[in-house]
Amino acid sequence: MNDSFINVVNLVKNFDNQSVIKNISFNVNKNSIVGILGKNGAGKTTLLGILLGLITPTKGDVYIFGKNLKSYKKEILSQINFQSPYVDLPKKMTVEQNLSFYSRLYGVKNFNKVIETLVSDLKINDLLKKNYGSLSAGQKTKINLCKALLNKPKLLLLDEPTASLDPETSIFIRNYLLAYQKKNKSSILLTSHNLNEVQAMCSNIILLKSGVIVSQGNIKQILKDYNYKTLIELFLSEG
Amino acid sequence: MFSRIFALLIRYKNISFGSFPRLISIFYWPSVQILFWGFFTNFLISNDSDNGLGVINIILSAVVLWDVLFRGQLGLTMSFLEEIWSRNLTNLFISPIREFELVISLIFISFIRTIIGLTPAVFIANYFFDFHLFELGFFLIFFFFNLIVVGWSIGFLVSSLVLRYGHAFEELAWAIIFILLPFSCVYYPLDSLPSLMQKISLMFPPSHIFESMREILINGVIRYDLLKNIIILNVIYLMGSIIFFIKIISISRNKGLLINQGE
Repeated sequence: MNDSFINVVNLVKNFDNQSVIKNISFNVNKNSIVGILGKNGAGKTTLLGILLGLITPTKGDVYIFGKNLKSYKKEILSQINFQSPYVDLPKKMTVEQNLSFYSRLYGVKNFNKVIETLVSDLKINDLLKKNYGSLSAGQKTKINLCKALLNKPKLLLLDEPTASLDPETSIFIRNYLLAYQKKNKSSILLTSHNLNEVQAMCSNIILLKSGVIVSQGNIKQILKDYNYKTLIELFLSEG
Repeated sequence: MFSRIFALLIRYKNISFGSFPRLISIFYWPSVQILFWGFFTNFLISNDSDNGLGVINIILSAVVLWDVLFRGQLGLTMSFLEEIWSRNLTNLFISPIREFELVISLIFISFIRTIIGLTPAVFIANYFFDFHLFELGFFLIFFFFNLIVVGWSIGFLVSSLVLRYGHAFEELAWAIIFILLPFSCVYYPLDSLPSLMQKISLMFPPSHIFESMREILINGVIRYDLLKNIIILNVIYLMGSIIFFIKIISISRNKGLLINQGE
């Protein structure tokens, strides 16, 4: 468990009488990038929600940084962050106000300096004074990513990190995330329907199907074991 | 803890006072209400009574104090609903914020919004109608505080229901106060209600508050039994509503309602 940033044990989640996550267990190691794959309704969002403490599991345990999420929630949440194109920031505030707000919530020290560095790295300086609600979907994705990096998270959870971005910006974001992960020796857990992106970024994958893990481990090894050439082939056959 | 509460207060300040139209909307209605009731009462007493200033003081005190409750509730509910409308609940609840920090922030911003909203109304009433709210003295602070506490209790209840059951309950944010109004005895004494309504009225703090207010303004009598009821009922309702709010957040986590909730 020492090398694990995430340790999920016999996790079950039922909504009313519907079982969405069915007794799954997995580890995500320190200093790694893991992709969660699965068709719509496979349980990806529910799994992310549980890891973020937004959804209470029906059964099972989640350990993050070796600590039980249930018991050390606030301590763990201060060291992780999340970005999704489907989750907005307050629309009636400027980008700068939003980033300051979240910096304060996460207790970021010298946050003006942190924000200045991040917006410069992500090339979004010109958006700082704009109202978040007035931004395009692509711009919002970049701002959301900036917010997700404010507390320099040891564990970053990303839900389709490059959705709504043009190819050039997608490559930029992808490379930025890879450099961030390498520099900070953090871990990234991401979901994406862009399988080329997953293959380019992740060393390992977890393939979910109807709430069950049908395959997990090193991508190259899984493709070899199942005798597929690409993730797309694997996804279409097993996902 | 304080930095997170401070962060939320700045956020709610930006929402509430961030643009001129939003700022205007906070103190527009209380001022219009005061003018409306003031002129209307002036008209009535000019036709009927020699004791005009006494009557106008009673009515305008009731208008201002009722608005304390209304603004208190609205300030809290609207600040929380803004998080839902902005689809910001997910980001808020994955941060290290604790539920009680959210509760404290909502209470603070509601208090600030109420003060800012009602101050112009009180000055307008004083200028046009020679109205002296401060005649109530210390009891003005007591009534103000207790009415805003009623507003917070209702605000937490409405916020909880919207969080749990969705947008269908948003209408309650505006309407619930008018369900309570007939039982609150704002403009008439408790004994003018039918006996069943009197029993219901006595279950809520506003009827005790407005009865006390009239006793002080009309008879100069302080009814300590009513003051005691006000405090007891308010403690029960406020604690109950906060526990309910926190419980609903927990239920929402069980049901997965904190993800992707929004317009």
